[in-house]
Amino acid sequence: MPYSWQNFATTGPGGALGAPTVGEEAHLTLWPHQSLTRSGFVVFIGVTTGLLAVPILSLLGSPAVWVLLGFFALVVGALWWAIMANVAARHGREELTLSETSVHISHIPARGPALEWEANPHWVTVHLRDDGPVEKYLTLRGNGREVELGAFLSPDEREGLFEDLSRLLR
Amino acid sequence: MADAAAHGHEHQDERGFFTRWFMSTNHKDIGILYLFTSGFVGLIAVAFTVYMRMELMHPGVQYMCAEHLDKGFFGGFISSLSASLPGECTPNGHLWNVMITGHGILMMFFVVIPALFGGFGNYFMPLHIGAPDMAFPRLNNLSYWLYVAGTSLAVASVVSPGGNGQLGSGVGWVLYPPLSTNEGGYSMDLAIFAVHLSGASSILGAINMITTFLNMRAPGMTLFKVPLFAWSIFVTAWLILLALPVLAGAITMLLTDRNFGTAFFQPDGGGDPILYQHILWFFGHPEVYIIILPGFGIISHVVATFSRKAVFGYLPMVWAMIAIGGLGFVVWAHHMYTVGMSLEQQTYFMVATMVIAVPTGVKIFSWIATMWGGSIEFKAPMLWAFGFLFLFTVGGVTGIVLSQAGIDRAYHDTYYVVAHFHYVMSLGAVFAIFAGVYYWIGKMSGRQYPEWAGQLHFWMMFIGSNITFFPQHFLGRQGMPRRYIDYPDAYALWNYVSSIGAFISFASFVFFIGIVFYTLRYGKRIEEKNYWNEHADTLEWTLPTPPPEHTFEILPKQEDWDRGGHDLPTLEEWADGTHPDNAAPRKT
Repeated sequence: MPYSWQNFATTGPGGALGAPTVGEEAHLTLWPHQSLTRSGFVVFIGVTTGLLAVPILSLLGSPAVWVLLGFFALVVGALWWAIMANVAARHGREELTLSETSVHISHIPARGPALEWEANPHWVTVHLRDDGPVEKYLTLRGNGREVELGAFLSPDEREGLFEDLSRLLR
Repeated sequence: MADAAAHGHEHQDERGFFTRWFMSTNHKDIGILYLFTSGFVGLIAVAFTVYMRMELMHPGVQYMCAEHLDKGFFGGFISSLSASLPGECTPNGHLWNVMITGHGILMMFFVVIPALFGGFGNYFMPLHIGAPDMAFPRLNNLSYWLYVAGTSLAVASVVSPGGNGQLGSGVGWVLYPPLSTNEGGYSMDLAIFAVHLSGASSILGAINMITTFLNMRAPGMTLFKVPLFAWSIFVTAWLILLALPVLAGAITMLLTDRNFGTAFFQPDGGGDPILYQHILWFFGHPEVYIIILPGFGIISHVVATFSRKAVFGYLPMVWAMIAIGGLGFVVWAHHMYTVGMSLEQQTYFMVATMVIAVPTGVKIFSWIATMWGGSIEFKAPMLWAFGFLFLFTVGGVTGIVLSQAGIDRAYHDTYYVVAHFHYVMSLGAVFAIFAGVYYWIGKMSGRQYPEWAGQLHFWMMFIGSNITFFPQHFLGRQGMPRRYIDYPDAYALWNYVSSIGAFISFASFVFFIGIVFYTLRYGKRIEEKNYWNEHADTLEWTLPTPPPEHTFEILPKQEDWDRGGHDLPTLEEWADGTHPDNAAPRKT
């Protein structure tokens, strides 16, 4: 699930989220889906490097090993860099902080400066639009602007988030 | 903060011809470029074989005569195309050697892998996993153009000054030293650079594919829910990554031996030519699986679609591919039983080689089990898949024969080996390419091929290629060695038959080129997303035909690709036999 709530101030009936009270804050972090886990990366690089070593074993003692080692290092390095670059490039995130007096969203892209928006939660409305660039486009209106939230999530996740936010910003 | 957008981005393809095809970073366009380029290089490589089969059709040398060398490049070329009288022809063995080298290098590095891995892999792997494009689109473009540059060098090497004071190098695609280190001219160096570029292209492509596959799968698509074709491309990419650096190292050492006075493989400088064979085959055997694995993926989808059943034994199919890939790295020396290895080494390589028959058998029987009880429809892609199953099995069985070190002593470097590897690689892999072309050409172009033409092409090619290669088993058993321009009269009959088969196969290839251009220009337009049936259930069939320039910018939903057994029978229906699909229930 590429979003998670932390520090709920209160929980409503049946474990549902409740609006925060004075002095308390709720945090929401959203991130784009990535299918590779950290342990998956370790396993893949480990197995690949291990298998690359097989021809080295059978050629130990020959000067040819040094030539091959150079190419192996290049390949493992390139593979490592490529996967890490892809993970980093897809690693943007959005953070929402909600207290009784303010709702604040930071859109932190993989590269470049963060984009910020802040409004008074009493006037903020939550919308799930059908005419947006993605299915079930989730937006917040307030402070004279309409901003998007979680455009990279799946439609079902945005719908769940819409219900959470509607309850919190009631 | 990102302000909300009122409407979706409208995607109009506004690229001009040059921008679209020469500067492309779009995985679908690059896939199409790979397919066309490899088809063109394939035509060159096939033309070489037709010329060789013309020469081998009758005993004696009729076409490749030393007399033609005096007539200049073009004059010699023209006169080489007509038969000379026996008294007027001195055999030009170098030309023959150049032909077999050119055919091997082009087919191994520049035709089959680019078509299956570069072409279908680029186009359909990202679609199958629901990714918007490859992880590194510009790197993808670089891979393609490196491949084109490599191809140009390979073709240039055929017509550049080489050994024996003639054009081209005649050392065989394996480039064994000391032959390759002593070959004169720079043709050999061009060939080595060509393989270098092809290797760099493949490695960059493989890194791109691996990153895409590992990190860009749609939400919910865990590793063992990935469609079999995408799996096959991933395993292939992984094999490329493990094998190609070894080849790059080997040929770099050849290059320095040739040009910089090193002696890695020169016996007179303390080097070891057998070492080269070990390194070459450590790459060369996995290369065989690099060629055939994407074909396995295509065949799985085609068989499932036209049997109207989910593929049998998904999980064993995936593990079989991984096992074939892994085992492929520990059997290399079965290509060199005759170099004087110890008995223990030969025994090990024999047993390890035979073990590969197990995962391969799992795949063959799973395809048969998929068809079993299915409602089979013999459209052209299914015919090609059937042909693949037959030819690949024949080639696999002769492979088991050749894996025996004792028997291999008799068959080594005979036409039996030629027949064996053409059955698995050229016929197996090429039939998979054609199955893929007929399966997907409608999806890629928005126009469908004429069914009768696809079927005629299949029967011509199936009959032609069997007539070509089956008699070569007989020639091998009679003792005819590979790589010779001429043979004694005792081998005349089956060589004649084999040549006839080659001409039929070539005619079918020319016919195929006609079918492709007819389809692209005049083929019947298709509007449906899925023009086969509901058992073509991977994500490309949820897209419009042909797919728009950009796909899956919004990630696909799980129900788009995961049927989760919805249309499969419950346990009761299955036990009663009341469900139309007599398939085993899927675990939920």
